[in-house]
Amino acid sequence: MKQSKIKKPTVNRQIAWTHLNSKPGQTLVALLGVTFGVSMYIFMNSFMNGVNQAQDDLAFSTLAHIRIYNDDDKRSYNPAESFFDAGTLLNIRNKKSLQYTDGIKNTSQVISIIEKQPEVTGITPQLNFSVFFRSGSKKINGSISGVEPASENQLFGIGSKVIAGSWNKLDVQKSGIILGKLLAEKLNVGLNDNVNVLNSDGVSKNYTVVGIVETSVKEIDKSRAYLNIATARQFQGKNFDYSSDIQVNLRDRDQTASLVSQLKSAIPYQVESWQTANQQLLAASQLRSIIAIAVSLTILLVAGFGIYNIMNMTINEKIREIAILKAMGFSGGDILSIFLAQAAVIGVVGGITGVLLGMGISAAVNQVPFKVAGLTTLPITYNPADFVSAIVFGIATTLFAGYLPARKASKIDPVVIIRG
Amino acid sequence: MKTTENALQVRSLIKYFHDPQTFQVIKNISFDVKKGEFLSIIGKSGSGKSTLLYVLSTMDTDYEGSLEFNGERLTGKTQNQLAAFRNEHIGFVFQFHYLLPEFSTLQNVMLPALKLGKLSSEEIEHHAYENLRLLDLEDQSLKKANKLSGGQQQRVAIARALINNPSVIMGDEPTGNLDSKNSLAVQDIFRNLAREFGQTIICVTHDNDFARNTDRTIEMADGLILK
Ligand SMILES: Nc1ncnc2c1ncn2[C@@H]1O[C@H](COP(=O)(O)OP(=O)(O)OP(=O)(O)O)[C@@H](O)[C@H]1O
Ligand SMILES: [Mg+2]
Repeated sequence: MKQSKIKKPTVNRQIAWTHLNSKPGQTLVALLGVTFGVSMYIFMNSFMNGVNQAQDDLAFSTLAHIRIYNDDDKRSYNPAESFFDAGTLLNIRNKKSLQYTDGIKNTSQVISIIEKQPEVTGITPQLNFSVFFRSGSKKINGSISGVEPASENQLFGIGSKVIAGSWNKLDVQKSGIILGKLLAEKLNVGLNDNVNVLNSDGVSKNYTVVGIVETSVKEIDKSRAYLNIATARQFQGKNFDYSSDIQVNLRDRDQTASLVSQLKSAIPYQVESWQTANQQLLAASQLRSIIAIAVSLTILLVAGFGIYNIMNMTINEKIREIAILKAMGFSGGDILSIFLAQAAVIGVVGGITGVLLGMGISAAVNQVPFKVAGLTTLPITYNPADFVSAIVFGIATTLFAGYLPARKASKIDPVVIIRG
Repeated sequence: MKTTENALQVRSLIKYFHDPQTFQVIKNISFDVKKGEFLSIIGKSGSGKSTLLYVLSTMDTDYEGSLEFNGERLTGKTQNQLAAFRNEHIGFVFQFHYLLPEFSTLQNVMLPALKLGKLSSEEIEHHAYENLRLLDLEDQSLKKANKLSGGQQQRVAIARALINNPSVIMGDEPTGNLDSKNSLAVQDIFRNLAREFGQTIICVTHDNDFARNTDRTIEMADGLILK
């Protein structure tokens, strides 16, 4: 006699396989349920990732991860308090505010402190102020950003948004100015034309247009112009190390909290993360993620109910056969494994086809034209973690949906069924 | 002890049904069945024959009294232990031939042996074919079980009951659906198994010719054995 032993799991698997094949329609419906659930999970999450990514790309084209500035309004020094006892009744009329500090006077020193942080990937100082642009008799309200061209470009990639002239001209031509596209149109100026700029101190100066920039933010295109920061300091009458803002980017923009608290103790200025400055951005992307997860889990849940129903039906139909198997000596565990194996096959096959379908749907949606705010098509971003969790959720839902009926089947008392 | 020569020992067996009202179906029965004995059980419809057989088959555990197989006490074992015991030691032919309709005749016959897992599937298939030939079913072996006639299905159930060479074969009217020719063939098979292989056969039957053909007949009436 041969020694080869047939393990009972093989029999159980054979039986499971026969069951799946004998009702191809039902098997297909259960499979489609999982496929649909998993594919929607992938599509919804990839789409929301895409939207978040596009939103962030848009936001972070002008927004740094951390901004350092000098907020004079926050100082409330009252000299009277140090001359009189507390509780003394004072009557101060026509109180005047004194400007103590303004902007960041020791920019290079602050930058050298920030540079030491390992998670920092880029720093750029800016000198921002409001001006009037004048061309002929036209006078337009706007703002100027004095920038270090190289590091500004590194943080915000603005060089690639210059549609006429070039960003690097700011470095070489100190009297050069780059205008927002709509601003240039309103002023009716082009490359190499002159623009007159008037600041709040009444100083006015002419600059030559060396570039036109078009961002995806209309508000900026309408009112913003860029100067070299050195030129801007001269114009504003500030010293060579002066800036109004220092913008900092990190390797991981979600990890601003620890650096902010570190910098706050090392720098006597306001240190603000993008999350605190733009809570609506954070809230919107978190809400979108929650919606995506809620919708896709709901779909998976519905698919799970479908599988539960189909498995329940199958088991009610097969109740006699289960009784026969038990009468022939199959244990409760065997019956459980027979039906769980069916659920597992449905889960795994449905998971795989679901991933493929999900990628197909996402790729198709990614082709749909959507020309708003710098986008050309609807955005899709694939995230490997979503694929893993889609398959895990898909298989887990199926196994759970299959487990309840399978356990019921394993508890069937054969004699009750066979006696009729 | 004489228990060793007994294949089956039933002591003070009492069984109740509770639905729709409690009544005693089996009223304190004791008897032995010897190894290699071909036993028949007869009695009026409703006298409790099937009920008794289900208890003997270990599927029904809801009874009072005790049941021993080859000296091994089965009363009180768990469902899973009993399932494994049935698989190896008991072949059962139901009153209504119960086959798995989605499986072929051959697969139906092979399943208990595949479950037992003592032989390779080639060997099992070989045995299954032998059993099918014995019951004149060779040409039906690849048909789905639900495509067979009633009599054919009953013979498949018998072939299935024999596959693991069980020490006890139980049949609840195993020839009830068969013509006299096939019925005689089955009786010959059972007689042969008892005589040559020492397998114990217990059959419920309404057929007096069948009963006369067995070593011993027990008659039941209202849950009691008539001597
Ligand atoms: N599940 C059940 N619940 C309640 N009473 C039952 C049940 N099964 C059988 N009975 C009753 O128990 C008694 C014995 O039934 P059993 O099936 O053992 O009879 P039988 O001798 O096999 O009859 P037959 O020759 O018609 O097959 C009958 O009165 C029957 O009505
Ligand atoms: Mg009966």
